[in-house]
Amino acid sequence: MSNSLRTILLIAAAVSACWILYQIRRLKIKLDHAIYWIVFAVLLAVLGIFPEVTYWLTRKLGMISPANLIFLVIIFLLLVKVFTLSMLTSQLEDKITVLSAEVALRSLDAEHRLEVQEEKEEGQNP
Amino acid sequence: MNNVLIIIPAYNEAENIERVVDNLTGNYPQYDYVIINDGSSDSTRKICARRGYNMMDLPVNVGLSGAIKSGMRYANYYGYDYVVQLDGDGQHDPRYIEAMLAEMEDSGCDIVIGSRFRTKRKPLTARMFGSILITGAIRLTTGKHIGDVTSGMRLFNKKMIKQFGYDMHYSPEPDTLAFLLNSGVKIREVQVEMSERIAGTSYLTLWSSAWYMMRIMFSILLFQWVRKRPDTGR
Repeated sequence: MSNSLRTILLIAAAVSACWILYQIRRLKIKLDHAIYWIVFAVLLAVLGIFPEVTYWLTRKLGMISPANLIFLVIIFLLLVKVFTLSMLTSQLEDKITVLSAEVALRSLDAEHRLEVQEEKEEGQNP
Repeated sequence: MNNVLIIIPAYNEAENIERVVDNLTGNYPQYDYVIINDGSSDSTRKICARRGYNMMDLPVNVGLSGAIKSGMRYANYYGYDYVVQLDGDGQHDPRYIEAMLAEMEDSGCDIVIGSRFRTKRKPLTARMFGSILITGAIRLTTGKHIGDVTSGMRLFNKKMIKQFGYDMHYSPEPDTLAFLLNSGVKIREVQVEMSERIAGTSYLTLWSSAWYMMRIMFSILLFQWVRKRPDTGR
């Protein structure tokens, strides 16, 4: 594992951790969502600081280059994140659909009630 | 005008809600209340509508934290001075509200927790293990002791109503207590008794408990240091 790859990993870990913490401060990301990225940053840092871990895993998995393993790990984690985000947006879409249907339904109901009341009042004082 | 509002978050509490609200309206008419129906899929909404209960009916499920936020906004909109959070399953007895209000008056604190472990010892059971860890994390980061960190029975003053209604990170959970303690907010505990759930099931499973602990620990040990602290005037 080259020194430049290790340096890049460490810089990426530090920058992404700081970036996420800054976004928490700005109220741009919820704490629950930030946990994933903090863990991600820590993992990058571990791979950068302890190349022995990467070498050991590379041998175990029968891969040729540690760099390939690092790419694979990162791609895998990002895929998981994209998949769970996809699930989340589906649920959000559904919630918005229900929400707009309910808002429309309830305002229609309120209008109906108002009409009935007006008719009653007109019936009382012709 | 009555200045105490009880907010009752209810998610699928059809078996409990009548007992809880009838007890409130019958025995404690001095407090106002609002039920937050958090998009229940059972007959919670129908029961509340039929009985003419005061209810905010959320059309979709937003979770406990979102339900409490809705209740806090209701309280702010109608200008209440105090909010009490009670669970919809009836494990919190409203007779302790008076003592909690008195404690707030006497000590001038901002939050009073209805605590099972103010004067009594916390039992060393598996269920309490998480609670012990969180109490330890709060002591480590704030130097202050909170016995019953997961109690859902809490009293808030006007300043807290605003915070909880308008800030993204304010969940009604122990990590917020740690953050607030470090922001100079005063928190006290009052001894209460809680009954076990009479009907329905608790939402806690092994997996969700593990995720809960992870969230709370990340928040207390790391995230609270980067959050912007409110101006508490202290």
